[in-house]
Amino acid sequence: MKTAAELKCGEKVTINDINIQHPSAKRLLEVGFTPGQEIELVNKSVFNDPIAISLRGTVIALRKSDADCIIIS
Amino acid sequence: MTLNSSSCNLFITLAGSPNSGKTTLFNYLSGKNYKTVNYPGSTVDSALANLQRKFNLNALLLDSPGIISLNPESTDEEIAINSLYKHAKLGKPDLVIVTVDASQLSRHLYLVKQIVNANFNVVIALTMVDILNQKGLDIDENKLSKIIHCKVFKVDSRSGKGVQKLLNYVNNIKNKLKNNHLQSSKSSGTNTTEEVLRIYNEIEVIEEQTIFELNENKNIDLTEANKQLNLITNKSLKSKCNQIDARTAKIDKILLHKTWGLLFFFLIMAFTFTSIFWFAQPIMDFISFIFQVLSTEMLILVGNNWLGMFLANGIINGVGSVAVFIPQILILFLILGFLEDSGYLARGAMLIDRPLSKIGLNGKSFVPMLSGFACAIPAMMAARTIPNRRERMLTIFILPLLSCSARLPVYTLLLAFLFPGNKAWIAGLVLASIYLLSTISSVLVAAIINKLNNKIIKDEDNSSFILELPAYRRPKLKVVAINMWHSGKLYIQKAGPVILVLSIFIWFFTTFPNIDPQVNEKNITQEQVNRLKNSERLATSYAADLGKIIQPVMTPLGLDWRVGVSLIAAFAAREVFVSSMTLIFKVTDSHSSLMDSMIGAMRNAKIGNTEQKLFTPASIIGIIIFFMFALQCLATVAVSRKETGSWRIPILQLLIFSSLAYVLSFIAVNGLRILGMS
Repeated sequence: MKTAAELKCGEKVTINDINIQHPSAKRLLEVGFTPGQEIELVNKSVFNDPIAISLRGTVIALRKSDADCIIIS
Repeated sequence: MTLNSSSCNLFITLAGSPNSGKTTLFNYLSGKNYKTVNYPGSTVDSALANLQRKFNLNALLLDSPGIISLNPESTDEEIAINSLYKHAKLGKPDLVIVTVDASQLSRHLYLVKQIVNANFNVVIALTMVDILNQKGLDIDENKLSKIIHCKVFKVDSRSGKGVQKLLNYVNNIKNKLKNNHLQSSKSSGTNTTEEVLRIYNEIEVIEEQTIFELNENKNIDLTEANKQLNLITNKSLKSKCNQIDARTAKIDKILLHKTWGLLFFFLIMAFTFTSIFWFAQPIMDFISFIFQVLSTEMLILVGNNWLGMFLANGIINGVGSVAVFIPQILILFLILGFLEDSGYLARGAMLIDRPLSKIGLNGKSFVPMLSGFACAIPAMMAARTIPNRRERMLTIFILPLLSCSARLPVYTLLLAFLFPGNKAWIAGLVLASIYLLSTISSVLVAAIINKLNNKIIKDEDNSSFILELPAYRRPKLKVVAINMWHSGKLYIQKAGPVILVLSIFIWFFTTFPNIDPQVNEKNITQEQVNRLKNSERLATSYAADLGKIIQPVMTPLGLDWRVGVSLIAAFAAREVFVSSMTLIFKVTDSHSSLMDSMIGAMRNAKIGNTEQKLFTPASIIGIIIFFMFALQCLATVAVSRKETGSWRIPILQLLIFSSLAYVLSFIAVNGLRILGMS
């Protein structure tokens, strides 16, 4: 099971599922990380964390620990 | 315009996602009729204003923090949502205007859906249509209106285009709005995952139906016409919708780059803090000169009696010594405003999240910490954006350590003493390092408290960092300047009366009861007589009596009661230290500026009746260190109590920071003396 936390820079994928057990899942869904959406890792911060993901025409910065609940395959 | 009672006014609340242009629209609608103002950084409290008269609509307008959904994650969102449902004074709004960024339609419609489902009267203001057009797309607002059952208007909040049309519509239906209050219940926020997904599915259909490509003929609706073609167009449409701003992506390649990003971050911070000192200097010299002239003229006009002294020393010099520092404070607000308006603040938060999370803070602590350099009070309020309670408390805890603008006057005076005239550029560098040191010490304190966390700060739950990085925009000078002006005005309104009242108090206590002391006037000039009278008057004043009580506390720091009185006065507001010093050291020298004569008076000050100088490099450094750590601000203590919900944190802050200040200052003064510095 691969999650968005493992994406490489410039990698474009489609969200497969969201792990709703994760405490950040609710907020990520509301921000627009819904299954079927295409996302792309556009940037990583200085220490490789947080990461910046493009989604629905904007860029969202989130920690890898948050991105862990976005399942991409 | 005769009726002003709230029952005749329409009550409109502005709601919207963060970065949807909500506050810009609020500023356009309210013009200069601000009732409250947010400091640069973020909107964390609601602001109320009357609609400008030119719009011909009698209405009260409420702006509240941006929200992503009706389910709050942090305190600022909670405030926004609560005031949406039921404002403390005004109750339920007659109308909610929701701002929706057209280039972010799907994400922002989510909130609209929730608000409509919660039974509010809703009108949508569709902003940033120009950005959508740049992508080669446009939106059919009439169709959108029909689908989501509320009126939609395209507006440009910066130029005001379309705003009047929206307000005309509101004006026409205002009676209906007043009488048609639907019952809304708080449970109507979306609570289950399925509901979130269902709303988003609906939105995606809406998006496909309302957004179209610009180069196509608008009269042919492809979605209806041909299903085969539909699939293809929708795909390209969708990817166009999801495209991020190309220019933003390019800039981020540099500003979020692993090395360059960090370098730019430090450069931007260094520029901010050094420019406060360097850009303001000429303006400060000018203001200082004006006040000195005023004070001298006043003494000549009224005469050297108690009234003249009261007006010249008590009022003009007292207020002037603080007014001098307004340029620095305005420049700080200006730069913070530019950083906010350009979209950089979110990047700064992202870059610094990792290091801050190591010491128990959050990337979202960045904005509060940056505003902490202006004032700890709005900074503590800005900490409401941090969802995790423990991180929020820790952020509030360390904020008083950051070098707020009220300390600037003190540092500027003391540094001008240490580095006079042609060495002024060193003062700028030293000031920058004071800022750096105050940042480092706040980080150290956070790290230590984080280690001892169970004893001092409690509560732990999920820590996360989810933040939108908005597209970069060229900051609008007008917007930033207005914001700077209002923040500056608020600062003066808050600090001004305190300074004036305390100046009068200090003048009284340092002048009475022995207002006209007898001195030996033989063989000396009039100027020398005045100087002798001044020092005799002070030595026999009420302040001197009080000073003898605190003298034992001041002696270890190499200071005397005169500085002690100023330090006590500084608890009302730190900048009062400067005006109180001006009064105590009786600065009345008609030949130079206020600042120069102040420094001259400090150079001549002696401890008691000895020949030992009161202000030496060592004792000045001691005072600087004292100011860096001491929590000398009653207003900060009060806000800390309010924001943390108990007295525990403010009392700990007061005790820990003030004793730390005293001990470190003691070590510095005596250490420097042992090392041979006087």
